Parts: sequence; C-alpha cells; structure tokens
Amino acid sequence: MSYCVNCGVELDASAKECPLCGTPVLNPREIRKENVETPFPKEKAQVEEIRSKDFGWLVTMVSLATAVTCGLLNRFAFPGRPWSLAVIGACVTFWVFLIPVVIFRKWSPFLYILLDGTAVIWYLYLIARMVERFEWFYELGIPIALWVTFLAEVFAVAVMKLPRSILARALYFFTVMGILCVGIELAIDSYAQVPRRLGWSAVVLTVCAIIDIAIVTTLSQRKLRNELKRRLHF
Amino acid sequence: MAEHKRDWYRLDLSAIVYPTLQRKDFSSVYRLSVLLKEKVDPDILQQAVDRTMPRFPTYKTAMRRGLFWRYLEPNTRPGPFVRPDVKNPCQPMNVKADNRYLVRFYYYRNRISLEAHHSLGDGTGGMYLLLTLTAEYLRLMGHGEIENGGYVLDIHEEPDPGELEDAYLRYANAKVCPPRPGEKTYRVRGTKEPFYTLNIIDGIMSVSAVRAVAGKYGASITEYLNAVLLYALLRKQEESSLFRLRPVRIAMPVNLRRFFPSKTLRNFITMIYPGVDPRLGKYTFEEIVTQVHHYMRYYVNEKFLRGDITTNARTQSNPFIRVVPLWLKDLVVRQFYTKVQDRNSSAGLTNMGALRVPESMEPYIERFDIYMGQPFSNRTNCAIISFGDVLTVNFASSIVETDVERFFFRKLVQDGIPVKIESNRESRGPERQGPKRQELERQELERQEPKRQELERQELERRELERQETERQGSERQKPERQEG
Repeated sequence: MSYCVNCGVELDASAKECPLCGTPVLNPREIRKENVETPFPKEKAQVEEIRSKDFGWLVTMVSLATAVTCGLLNRFAFPGRPWSLAVIGACVTFWVFLIPVVIFRKWSPFLYILLDGTAVIWYLYLIARMVERFEWFYELGIPIALWVTFLAEVFAVAVMKLPRSILARALYFFTVMGILCVGIELAIDSYAQVPRRLGWSAVVLTVCAIIDIAIVTTLSQRKLRNELKRRLHF
Repeated sequence: MAEHKRDWYRLDLSAIVYPTLQRKDFSSVYRLSVLLKEKVDPDILQQAVDRTMPRFPTYKTAMRRGLFWRYLEPNTRPGPFVRPDVKNPCQPMNVKADNRYLVRFYYYRNRISLEAHHSLGDGTGGMYLLLTLTAEYLRLMGHGEIENGGYVLDIHEEPDPGELEDAYLRYANAKVCPPRPGEKTYRVRGTKEPFYTLNIIDGIMSVSAVRAVAGKYGASITEYLNAVLLYALLRKQEESSLFRLRPVRIAMPVNLRRFFPSKTLRNFITMIYPGVDPRLGKYTFEEIVTQVHHYMRYYVNEKFLRGDITTNARTQSNPFIRVVPLWLKDLVVRQFYTKVQDRNSSAGLTNMGALRVPESMEPYIERFDIYMGQPFSNRTNCAIISFGDVLTVNFASSIVETDVERFFFRKLVQDGIPVKIESNRESRGPERQGPKRQELERQELERQEPKRQELERQELERRELERQETERQGSERQKPERQEG
C-alpha cells in the first residue's frame, strides 16, 4: 500500500505512478511485484465496423434495370439505330466508377483507376459502334483515354509513395496537368493531320512550370514554409 | 393487450437528442458496474442475462430510423452476450453493430458491468437492470435466499406498463415555459486522446468521512462534492491564465422520479446548472459551498422542474417541428447541442446517491462504480455513487491532462478525507509535464535506483531473518510439546 507523496492519495498496489500527477511510486519497503492484478483490464477493444450493402445493391439493380429496359425498348419498340448502346454504356461506366464507393472498398486504388479507364474506353467504343464511325475512336479516343489513365496512375503513385503534404500534392498535380495537356494537343494534331507542334499546351505547360518552381522553392526553404504556415493557418 | 407486447416504442423526450449526437467516435453510452466479493463466472452470468432481459422489453430493443423520428423496436436477434471487459470502456455504439443491441455486458474478475445507450433509459433504469441481473446471477450461483425489492425486480412478473412509459409527457403540464439560461462557460482545454481512449480515475472514500466534512460546511454530500468540482474547475481556469474569465458551471442531472411518482425505466431526468462566476470576484471555498447549497435549495423542487420539463416537451410537440424530416432535425439539433448546450457547462456531475439493495444481497456486494461515459467535447465527467460506507467518485475523460481530477482529490485530502485512487491510465506522467521535467525525472530515478535496490535488498534480508527467527521459535515451542507427549 503506497501513498502519492505529491497528492496524499492512497494508490492501488499495481500503480507504478500516481494517476493524478504522474509522480512515480518509489517505496523501498515494498518489494516490487510483477503481474499484480490491475483494477482495470489491459486489453483494448476495437469498434466494430458496420457497412451497409443496401446502397450497393440499389445502385447495381437500378443501373441493371435501366440498361436492360433500354435494350429491350431499342430492340422491340424503337428499332433502327442502336441508341440504347449509349445508355447501356453509361450505366456500366457509372457502376464501375461507383465500385470503390459502394461495393468493394478494400481494393488497391491502382486497380480502381485501371478499371475506370477500361470502362471509359469501352463506353467510347460503344458510341463509335452506335454512330458507326471508328477513326476518331482509334486516333483520339483510345490515345487520350490511355494517356489520362496512365497519368492518373502516376499521380496515385506519387501521392501514396512520395511526401503527401498539401504543397507536395499540388506539385504532383500541376506537373501531371502540364504533361496531360501536351499529350492531348499532340493527339489532336495527329488526328487533324497537321504537323505536330506545341501550341496552346505550351502555354499551359509554362504556367504549370512556374507554379511548380514556386512550390519547389517553398518546399526547399524551411523558413519560407514555416512563414507560409504561420500566415495561412486555419 | 399487455403493453410490453407492443411492437415499437417512441423514443422518450430526452432520448431523442442522444442518437443525433452519434458520431463515428462518440455515442452517449453510460456504464454501471457492480463489484462482487467473488470472481464472476461468465457462463452463469450469460444464463442470468438470458433470464433477465425479457423482463426489460425497452432494453431488449433495436433502434430504427423513421421518416420523422427514430423509434425502438423489440430485438429478437441472439444476444446480448457477455464478454470480457476492456481497457477502454464506453466504446461508441453503432446502432447496427452487435446484432443491433444497445446494451453490453462485461465481466472482469469480480466486476459485472452494464453499458447502455442513453436513449434506452437513464442511470436509474439501467441500475434496475443491473441489479435484477446481479440478483439473478447470485441466485444461480446458489444464493437462493435473495429476495426481490427495491432495484431488484421480479423476473417472472409481466413488465408493468408504467415501466415503459414516457413519464415526461405525463408531467409536462405547466402553464408557462420558463426560458433556459444560456451562457458560454469555461471549457477545459485539453489534449485530445487518440481514438479511442477513455481515461478513468476512481476515487474511493468513506461515506461517513465525507458526510462529516460536508456537515462542517453546512452542506449535503452532493452539494459539497459539487462545490469541490467547481473549486477544481476554478483552479484550472486560473492556472490556464486565459485572456478572459468565464463562469464555471456544472451540468447535473436530477432524477425526476424523486419529485414526480413514476415507475418508468426509461429516461426521466432533467439538467440543472449550479455554478459560480469568477468575473464577480474571487470565491473562497466556503462561498462556493454556500452558492451551490442555495442554488440547489432554490431550483430543485417540483415546481421549477415541472416548468423545465414543459419547456422541453413544448418544442417536441410543436407541429411545425414534427413534420420536419429526421435528417434536418438531426442537423439542427446537433448544431444546437455543439454551439449552445455543450458550452453551457464546464463539466458534468451526477450523483446517484446511496444505493439500497435487498438486505440478503448486501453481503455479496463490495461497491458500485458508475461512469457518465465519454464526454461529448474535450472535458471530464464525474459520477458519484455510494453503497454502505463506500463512496466512489468516478471521473471519465477523453483528454490527457488530469488537472481537474488532481485539484478535486487534493481538495478532499486537504479537507481530511482519505482517498484511494484507481485508474486505467497508463504511465503518461512525464508526457503530461513536458520534455524538460521528463528528463529531470528520469535522471532522478536513475540516481535513486542503486539506493532503491540497496534498500530493497536490505528489506529482503530483514524479512528472511525474521522468517528464520519465527521458524526457530516455532520449532522450539513444538519441542517441549513433543517431550510431554
């Protein structure tokens, strides 16, 4: 039986310090015992996580129903152009985009981005089938969709593996945006069959570069960074 | 038709608020524990739970959302199951988790604990459940002589309709709705503990010692302990050297069953706010006691409380409020609670008073502990209960600092009340006091270690010698006996 020399309260036999003031218990007359029973258990509990599947079901059923009914309408009521492909494609793309939100939440983000990219390309293909013209799909649709997917993956890698402060993330974002614009312009040029030359995307690239330099400078100067933090804290 | 066969229950007047405050890391969950004199057998406890729960239809429920209000419906899923106790009690309660049960039962050594969501009922209602369960458990353990009475209900009886009623509505009949005082009060600033920790500090003392000291100040035990908590908060405010002082006030639930006869096992409490305003000048402890004493005598009576209930009920019965969809109500209530209600008091304190159990049960019970649960904001809540001559003051807080608790218990010790402290806090003492102090303490400990070891060695030697001495004496005493034989 010990008392806290600081607070004057009696302490439990298992106490190594006073819970009130943190003064350690030093009682040479008392032989230190290991594994004294504590008044409270030592195991911590975790909160049980509950995830409702109802919303996922609802989304799945609604998109499925829309796709099927439109397909039937197109087949029997309004035959002619395959307009239902646009609706079906939209439903599927919508569903794929919602996968991380409502259905499988534990997958890797890279997989989500890959699936989203695939869904978009597939949707573009359906539209091409619908209008029965494919050259824009091969020369513009696929390259841009692939380019966006690739850059999204790169951005995801950067955010997850590299430093993830707000400034650092802004740096990745602007870099990726600049590169994206260059790719888009090159693809458009090749589709329009004009000589490949950097035009408007060069302006975007310059602006992004300026912003990047500003961010890198701020990131590398600790004093500057702290000053910004102080002035802009909220 | 028996009332308990009803297939749903409205939430009572104060139960409406608790689920709206539900966050991922917060639920209004309180905990009542009884410490027996023997180790708890989990299997028998489970049997006792299974036998007891049907007697408490409003506790064997699940919470559902309607379009305008939430409601309770009888829960027929398996459970609730008893489980080993945990270090961080009063965990947030997801209404969908745990087979949708809103009560939990824990056991640890000789302790049986009940945790219940506040929307099912208040501490008194929970205490009926806990004590009926404990009595049933003891009977199953072979103590058949335990009779019903007081908090122990007969589990073979049909539930009384009066136990399931919303007693507020019966008594909310004042002709006027007195306005509520609302003022920003001092709030303890503390370092929030990581998700999810509940820090507990229990102070165990003797009722007669506290009563003697309280009597010296001319106050009751509740008034005295209230004053000590106010004093601790005032000290804390002084030490924090804030830019501006604020009044210090305590939110204290009053059990309305004392004033309005009702058998209800659901919520039937209202809040009162005793406090002092340090902006008027420095209060001595005696002045705080006087202030609390007179506040209680003035406000805690049937008339004022009836007015308070009426104000509460009037809001809920307003047809314009009733037709608002639930999500909008939630939004408004939560805003109101965070911005006004929560800032209206600096700490919570509840006193369940002296608990009576049937006489045949008394020998099996050591003491009770009650916890108001996790505080909504960063502060500390205090709950008091006494049984026999043991009074326990249980602090539950979600912050690292223990200043309020320290001032509180030191004041009691200064007034001559011996206090024993138990806690689930880990060694975080040095962390509370900054790195410099930490370093100094470490050095001091290191310096003292050889001395301590030396003293410990001497003590062991001394005991060894003593043991040998007694053995020698024992054998000498036995020798003549043998000769005689």
